[in-house]
Amino acid sequence: MMIDLVEVAERSRTGVKMASRDWELGLFKKIEELIKEHNLGFSKAEEFLNTDNSVADAAFKAAVDFIVDVGAYCISTGRIIRFSEDEVKDAIKAAPREIVMGEGKDVRIFKQGKIEGKEPLNICPGHHAPFTEDLGTLVVKNFAQIPRADFLEGFNFPEVDGREILGPPLEAYASRKQAAYLREGIRRAGKPGMAIVYYPISTRASSFLSVLDQECGLRSTDGVLFTLLPDVKIEYDYLTSAIIYEQHGFFGVNGSFGIMGGFCGGPEGAAVESIARTIVGWMVYRDKLHYPGVEHMLTLTATKMTFHPINNARSVVYQALNRNSNAIYMEWVIPSSELCTEEHLWESAVRSIEGTINGANLYAHRVSRPRMNAGQTPLEAEFMIEVSDATLKAGLKRGDGGELLKKITGRLEGRSSVQGKTIQECYDLVKHRPSAEYGEIYGKVKKDLADLGLEFE
Amino acid sequence: MSEEEILGNLRQAVLNYDSDGAIKAAEEAIKANVDPLKAIEEGLAPAIREVGERFHRYEIYLPHVIIAADAMTAAMRILEAALPKDRVLKRKAIVIGTVEGDIHEIGKNVVAIMLKVAGFEVYDLGIDVKVSSFIDKAQAKGADVIAMSSLMTTSMPNMGDLIEELRSTNLRERFKVVVGGGPVTQGYADKIGSDGFGRDGDEAVKVVKRLVGVQ
Repeated sequence: MMIDLVEVAERSRTGVKMASRDWELGLFKKIEELIKEHNLGFSKAEEFLNTDNSVADAAFKAAVDFIVDVGAYCISTGRIIRFSEDEVKDAIKAAPREIVMGEGKDVRIFKQGKIEGKEPLNICPGHHAPFTEDLGTLVVKNFAQIPRADFLEGFNFPEVDGREILGPPLEAYASRKQAAYLREGIRRAGKPGMAIVYYPISTRASSFLSVLDQECGLRSTDGVLFTLLPDVKIEYDYLTSAIIYEQHGFFGVNGSFGIMGGFCGGPEGAAVESIARTIVGWMVYRDKLHYPGVEHMLTLTATKMTFHPINNARSVVYQALNRNSNAIYMEWVIPSSELCTEEHLWESAVRSIEGTINGANLYAHRVSRPRMNAGQTPLEAEFMIEVSDATLKAGLKRGDGGELLKKITGRLEGRSSVQGKTIQECYDLVKHRPSAEYGEIYGKVKKDLADLGLEFE
Repeated sequence: MSEEEILGNLRQAVLNYDSDGAIKAAEEAIKANVDPLKAIEEGLAPAIREVGERFHRYEIYLPHVIIAADAMTAAMRILEAALPKDRVLKRKAIVIGTVEGDIHEIGKNVVAIMLKVAGFEVYDLGIDVKVSSFIDKAQAKGADVIAMSSLMTTSMPNMGDLIEELRSTNLRERFKVVVGGGPVTQGYADKIGSDGFGRDGDEAVKVVKRLVGVQ
């Protein structure tokens, strides 16, 4: 039987006590053992996308073994939460394969994609990026206007009503304002029932719970970003909120990607951790939607453009989840180069192609380390959708797709990330269109991609 | 055992992430009257630098660096205890943590361990650290630098609050302050009056070294 969230809370209070550093080092040791035991060595493969199903299945088995052998760690109590093998397997079986989100004419079904599939994927076009309050509603309206948008995530801002957001009272107030900006933006776009996802202004329970409001905040058909912490750690503000949200009805979104180089080790370890965090996110927070994968520290710090073997590791994660579970997963399209640059769109194309071929829906396109008002514009979201559709139309399989990615990344690999522009400098939010300069860059990259074999409408 | 062999054993113990081996080699160094300072500078220091370079090249990962640094620390304790008081190394000390209201720690962990590898005495206060805890610890340990990390725009203001608190208690000149984390920029660091900003672990180490005058 699927584990109850109150039981998770109970175990977090009664489990074995352990220092955080001991947990982290133990996690590394266990993952190293599992990599050997399951013969996972895909970081040495030359291919850009995994084509061997047995590798994906072995990675999934390693992740299940990891959860059964190690469990999760509660940082609020410093205790380990253990799960039986049956509990893990029951949870995997019980996970939904689709989510009905939104209301009325704007209701959408968000589902697991197919590896080398033919159907268009689901899309969250944007946010999870910083914008100043003055742009809030207008930015939301622009992203909601994208016809294929299934849901929108909130955004963060450093000030509310001109006051610095610091401390629980202002955080709770700002959280409600975020939900209000989202509601107003989608209403202005003519999509009042579109699902919205609360992006935590802070990770305190008071902030999470302040947005529960049928009129001005979240409805039971909306979602919340409830990310399991790296190194398979959970904490009480999230768990408290998850228990309450579960009773209201919602969908949780889980950033379950592993970071290469951390306590999970290299690409293989990060892949195993990511699969494990996807499963555990469902078990402890009831997360139904995930953005798993593997990321490189240099991408997250927007230092260098890095691809291989990270692409391959990410594809193993997606395929593992697709072949062995119902997990509904998305590729987070996070170029390290900034807006209004060719590099930004090339990096975006790489992610959109690899996600599409691996059955990953597309999520919140944004610069990996966004500056204020410089994280995203609707143009890249539209571009991401066009590239995904063109990939489907070209009928790219994993092998051919990997070869295409090799060609594209050949011109980018190891280069420093490129600085770009803010949304005000490269996009007209009133006319809902890019600047002439950005439009030209977009046209050039799209033409080059068509020359490489993608079939745009 | 020759001095060269003992220095080699110290190096190898760190490169092999072997605390027991490092302790044994340090004890052998003392027994054989090897200059403890030489054992540190020619045995341990080049090895931990090599570990840092391997980490930088992504040949090894965070846990390796932590275990190697633990091995180095274990040997250092023995060697430093054997140094005459006037030759005891005074390493620059840093208090580091993720600011209050923020529970993200990967970036902070990387910076903390890279500073340790670079030879600093690092006091890692963890996550969700109050302004007062940073300052109290820095005073208690006689730290030179306070380093703060934040991954959320709503926890960033605590960085400015700490600097303000240092000013209001006449401690601003006592500590160098460096900041970093996802949403933090050089512009933000300048705005709040931070002495330095690090985009990533490498940059953080360079900035801290420059601020405290270490090569």
